[in-house]
Amino acid sequence: MAAATTEKAPGAGLLAGSGVAFVLPLLAVMAIAFNAPILLMLSWSVSNPPLSLEHYREIFETTLYARVLWTTVRIALATTLICAVLGYPLALWIRGLSPRARIIALALVVLPFWVSILVRTYAWIVVLGNAGIVNRTLLALGLVGSPLSILYNELGVLVGTVNVLLPYMVLPLVAAMARIDERLLQAAASLGAGERTIFRRVFFPLTLPAFAAGMILVFILTLGFYITPAVLGGGRVPMLSNMLDLLINQLPNWELAAAISTVLLVLVLAFNALSAALRERAA
Amino acid sequence: MTLPSGLVGLGGGERTPIAWPDRLTVGFIAVATLVFLALPIAIVVPMSFSSAATLTFPPPGFSLRWYAAFFGDARWHQAALNSVLIAAISSTMAMLLGTLAAYGLVRGSFRGRRLIEANFIAPLIVPPVVKAVAIYIAYARTGLLGSYLGLIVAHAILGVPYVVLLMSVAIRSFDQRIEQVAASLGARFPTILRRVLLPNILPSLAAAWIMAFIVSFDEIIITFFVFGRRETIPKRMFTSLEQKIDPTITAIATLLILVSLLTLAAVALLLRRGGLLRRGGAVGPV
Repeated sequence: MAAATTEKAPGAGLLAGSGVAFVLPLLAVMAIAFNAPILLMLSWSVSNPPLSLEHYREIFETTLYARVLWTTVRIALATTLICAVLGYPLALWIRGLSPRARIIALALVVLPFWVSILVRTYAWIVVLGNAGIVNRTLLALGLVGSPLSILYNELGVLVGTVNVLLPYMVLPLVAAMARIDERLLQAAASLGAGERTIFRRVFFPLTLPAFAAGMILVFILTLGFYITPAVLGGGRVPMLSNMLDLLINQLPNWELAAAISTVLLVLVLAFNALSAALRERAA
Repeated sequence: MTLPSGLVGLGGGERTPIAWPDRLTVGFIAVATLVFLALPIAIVVPMSFSSAATLTFPPPGFSLRWYAAFFGDARWHQAALNSVLIAAISSTMAMLLGTLAAYGLVRGSFRGRRLIEANFIAPLIVPPVVKAVAIYIAYARTGLLGSYLGLIVAHAILGVPYVVLLMSVAIRSFDQRIEQVAASLGARFPTILRRVLLPNILPSLAAAWIMAFIVSFDEIIITFFVFGRRETIPKRMFTSLEQKIDPTITAIATLLILVSLLTLAAVALLLRRGGLLRRGGAVGPV
């Protein structure tokens, strides 16, 4: 979009000097209110005893923390998988719609972004609870004798995370599918490839980088989820974030909270770098 | 909530149909998934007009009692006031500082611009709960826990990435030569800013402000960690959700959805006027 306009001769325009003065106010505020707190957190994670990895050892050696870490990763993996299985067909289907229908379908996908995550999570209590829609329907149909427990366990949390994160999978896929050069598909067809072959050998590989990037995005976003497990898990499905809430707000252990946060941050940054590399390749 | 890459590739013409493994299955999964996505909103809105105090769906009767409960409760008033106040001030802060910085990043020629830009975008990548822990510890050490100032600054930081990203695009797409012409005609920077640049980036500026406003208005986790006993709307919703089922929340939710949709429409309108969102044209990977 803006490839050609950034060349500038020194001193051109109205910037006195290099323009660094424009950046400094924000840089100063960020340094105080963002960078410093993150660095402070990092330093707390290795403090008391000073400069030790004691708290990191504690995370991985205490059964409770290791279990929470594993629960978090497991839920993130499951969310990613379900989002992939539901998201890819949806994107594919949207691609085949008429332009008008496509806009409506995309609006439905984007709409939840603008609705508070609390509201969306709350709705699932109504749907999944013991007296919720699903259970009352099943009971009325006589399919079950007593209400199924879908809420306040891992299943309930999964419904919530998938619901919130699906758009992050679908939107990049829709964009990637729209970018595919139609002539490639036509060329494949004219060379005698069957429909399935075109999908498998041409179309799907072209969407793969975006698909992978979408999955990574969903995965890292789930790792940091707090609201959904707190509400739909009813306190019974603690994830890393809920653990952090406990360590900060209930039984102050800042060093450990800082260490867990650091682990989470490193995980997210690593996967983020991976995702950026994939996007680079896709572009 | 993070910005979806949703401004991408909305339009386009008919696509050549390609075959997918099983049309019927794909169509079924797709429609079911769309319903699944829209379901929470489709449930909450009718629930808010329910006459029952339990969460029965469909509602047994119509009433406005939950709206009355919201508008008649002083604690909700205070929470709403806090939400609006904090969102308004923090988004204004983010808009001013972020736009200035975006101008420097786009037009400037100093070293390390990419690194500095990465720093400005970083709050978008760091998980909310990690920011919450970091800011909690920092505020606890400086006595800012539970203060308005603390939360406003924290929320402003959250809005910064959106402002910097949006305004960088807007400023980049405004031809620098127009500024140079104005300068060569003798206009000084404040005049150029006021008479040349601002009128042209105003729609994007408004969109960026609204974006930052929503980010603050919707924020829960950092607020929950650092705002002490004070409340905002999302924080109070969250704490009351954890305690008991209170249908008042559905009324607030519906009001919030209404506000979200109105602001969404405003943003779309502003961005289109600003030329950032084009229908039918591939905006492509930005």
